[in-house]
Amino acid sequence: MSVLDVLKESVIAGDEKKVLEYTQKALDEGTALEKILDEGFIPGMEVVGNKFQANEIYVPEMLISAKAMKAGMKILEPLLTKAGVKRVGKVVIGTVKGDLHDIGKNLVAMMLEGAGFEVIDAGVDVSAQKFVDLIKETNADILGLSALLTTTMTEIKKVIDVFEEKGLRDKVKIIVGGAPLSAEYATEIEADGYSPDAASAAALAKKMVS
Amino acid sequence: MEKLLDSVKLLYSENKRLVAPLLGFPSVKMANSSIKLAQQNHKEHFKVLNLLVDKFKPDMQFVLMDLSVEANALGLNTLFPPNDSATVMRKHGEFDMDELDSLNRIEFDSDSRLLGYVKTVELMKRNFPSEVKVGAYVTGPYTLAGLIIGAEEAGLMAARDPEKLDKICAFTTECVIKYNSLLLSAGADAVCVLEPSGVMLGHSHFERFSSVYVKKVVELCHDAKSDCIYHVCGNSTHLIEKMVDSGVDGLSLDSKDAGVDIAGVAEKIPDDVIIIGNMSPTKTIVYGSPLEVEKEVTSLLGSMDTFVNYVLSTGCDLPLETPLDNISAFMETGRNYTVSV
Repeated sequence: MSVLDVLKESVIAGDEKKVLEYTQKALDEGTALEKILDEGFIPGMEVVGNKFQANEIYVPEMLISAKAMKAGMKILEPLLTKAGVKRVGKVVIGTVKGDLHDIGKNLVAMMLEGAGFEVIDAGVDVSAQKFVDLIKETNADILGLSALLTTTMTEIKKVIDVFEEKGLRDKVKIIVGGAPLSAEYATEIEADGYSPDAASAAALAKKMVS
Repeated sequence: MEKLLDSVKLLYSENKRLVAPLLGFPSVKMANSSIKLAQQNHKEHFKVLNLLVDKFKPDMQFVLMDLSVEANALGLNTLFPPNDSATVMRKHGEFDMDELDSLNRIEFDSDSRLLGYVKTVELMKRNFPSEVKVGAYVTGPYTLAGLIIGAEEAGLMAARDPEKLDKICAFTTECVIKYNSLLLSAGADAVCVLEPSGVMLGHSHFERFSSVYVKKVVELCHDAKSDCIYHVCGNSTHLIEKMVDSGVDGLSLDSKDAGVDIAGVAEKIPDDVIIIGNMSPTKTIVYGSPLEVEKEVTSLLGSMDTFVNYVLSTGCDLPLETPLDNISAFMETGRNYTVSV
């Protein structure tokens, strides 16, 4: 197996030690940064996403793969920035105001990173204004909004309305997710997309920037 | 109080259904109160629930749903928003097992808010009409573990260090058992184990970190001649077998929108395990008209006609803003429905 094949398999297996070792090996061999992403991390996380959607693995297994990928990306990120490598896209993601739940949002952020996106994580309990400020600051392509409570899901509509009021609605694609949400609800509130889980969020985001 | 299954079977023989939505928060609007006050003051808590029972006459009434009771009793930082359920602040970073020793030293069952919930159950038992079953909630062992160590950390631990998570779940189960004992002594006819984080697990992790421990909660309930119900939010279809294996008397299932085919589940489980659910708590009943609620409830009931072991309910707790007219429509439709067998 090539170094990148081992890297990909190590991401799938969630073997952080091996991911770090083989990321460094790939760099030491002079492998192009984009190639490490495109043939190591991204296909690895794609397999993880597919397994999750097929109910072959669940959140714990997805988490260990995502953590392993993140560990490898920590080595790669500064190099990608320095080299000015263009990422697939840029996403700001956060849990809306009044909601402190973050595991879903964190998983989505990791899957997006694994799919080649630059991710700006706004955290939890994020106000509409803060999302506006972050989008303006980062010029992100996509805004991902998460809510886990029936009482906070209505905040998502408020964020969309604020973007409309500020004349920024057509500057960014807004995708939403979280346990009480549905595709129907997303359509009603005029979000650009809805994803029921982290794996499909990454696929949806890719479609939006392609 | 007769067992839930006996009540369900009796009503079915009369072509009727038990009607018991997961109904709590809309009561605070009726009482001009707040969730924060009701979750901290047992008399206020009873007052708001009493208004619900008076107006809607459900067959079973639970306390307000609150996943923070046990965690708060363990000293975890808890927020009390005025009109939302109390929330435990998220923990981040790796969990130091020494913390478990400190938590073990807490006199968990002396916590005033926890005892407040017990007092609420006492008041419910003493004052509700005798035909209304009194329900209480406990947090599931895996979910409580996630509240203590962080949900993400619990997920990682399940995969990387399951023996460590076993120790934490054994501890959380001890806490839940203590709380459960108090609730049963106060007169709870049914205790529902809320295990929302369980949905993130595969069935073997779920068995190891939840179902095996819930068996102990079930045993305690059965010793007290009470029922035990398992509630896992979201699409719990892959967990049904392990939920049933715990020995619970009933499964409370989330809605079709969450991915649950309730009739499909009913076909696969023994008919001495009650199926409870599963109208969506966030769609028609909140945003629709009473007529639309009637239509949806009728359709749900129709789909479950052939199953003796069914209780009409909602897929999860109804939000605060649920229109009271819609709750009335839910109840009336359920009451007036005749099972066609």
